[in-house]
Amino acid sequence: MNAMAKPLPTGSEDTLAIEEELKRLIIEALSLETTPEEIDAEAPLFGDGLGLDSIDALEISLVVSKAYGVQLRSDDAQNHRIFASLRSLAAHVAAQRLR
Amino acid sequence: MPGATLPLNPPGNAGAAPDWRAAPERGSPTLLRLMTAIALRLGWRVGHALLFPITAYFLLTAPRPRRASREFLRRALGREAGWRELWRLYFSFSSTILDRVWLCTGRTEGFRLEMRGLDDLRARMAEGRGVLLLGAHLGSFEAMRAVADAGCPVELAVLMHEGNAARVKQWADALGGEARAAAIIPLGQPDAMLRVRECLERGGLVGLLADRAPEGARMVSVPFLGSPAPLPAGPHQLAALLGVPVMLAFGLRRGPRRYEVRFEPFEDLTAPVPRAGREEFLRRSLPRYAARLEDTAREAPDNWFNFHRFWGA
Repeated sequence: MNAMAKPLPTGSEDTLAIEEELKRLIIEALSLETTPEEIDAEAPLFGDGLGLDSIDALEISLVVSKAYGVQLRSDDAQNHRIFASLRSLAAHVAAQRLR
Repeated sequence: MPGATLPLNPPGNAGAAPDWRAAPERGSPTLLRLMTAIALRLGWRVGHALLFPITAYFLLTAPRPRRASREFLRRALGREAGWRELWRLYFSFSSTILDRVWLCTGRTEGFRLEMRGLDDLRARMAEGRGVLLLGAHLGSFEAMRAVADAGCPVELAVLMHEGNAARVKQWADALGGEARAAAIIPLGQPDAMLRVRECLERGGLVGLLADRAPEGARMVSVPFLGSPAPLPAGPHQLAALLGVPVMLAFGLRRGPRRYEVRFEPFEDLTAPVPRAGREEFLRRSLPRYAARLEDTAREAPDNWFNFHRFWGA
């Protein structure tokens, strides 16, 4: 899959592909009434009642583990950053998957 | 809408800040500090004696919680509640706060803790998938903690709203309850439920009080003591997602330093409920929880520690 025009600060092609895929998976898993295009990959995933909650995080962790074999654990000191946005989650998945 | 965050919890019931957060048991933090200081220095008996003026003060000076308590008692008793019943309820509440100092640190000598359903609990624990315990603001959750220490050595974690979690942790740290303080999982962190799952995977118990929720949480109206009351969907969604055995757990105060700790089978899930069946699961599970809560609250009306308007404004 080739990268699109816009260069990303942290993103490799892999990250970008995962990001797009994650959007779809999350929309599907959480039955969100939105489209992938409407999701800003840099916007916070979780937050004051408007974003996702921790049950959704559990759901996302199931999706991520099923689709990429990457386990999200609570003792990961990076969680704060991993869950910061869809982009950072995608970057984490991309990095972990390579190992 | 560009730049949208994922709109999971529709702000549909915005403006309806849960009453318990707007007007929490204002007594709790102050009372907790006072009780702890007294208890540690002077012992249970002195603390218990002081509960009389303290309870009277809180009963007489807070009309809003009193009205809410009256409403509950009227429904639970099937008649108007008098000062006697109100007193019993308030006294019971302040007693549990005093007793916490001992129960929370596992010092149960002098206490009578009657256990019910321990075999049911053990049978489910033996499956090795952990057990999710649904409680309520009915009685003392700490009583349960002490029993888990004493009769049933198992990892126990309690899910709590962030503000409460911070306060309780601070308090537990002051008591020197290091291990117990660590067993509080504050809600609101994205990885809270990951911690829940991991604790369960280790065969632990995770307790949560399923009768209140933070603002913005999805609530479902279910019949409770005669009228529909909004109960949070979250605990049941969590159960469905985790697919572990679920039990009800109540630590009812039955008298001075006397508690009856109950574990009741509720839902023996063997696997996560598939997505398509989740709503159906909620529709079954929530009213069943409400029905058991209703029965138990009727049995021990002086243990009802929701001092806000439970049925909504």
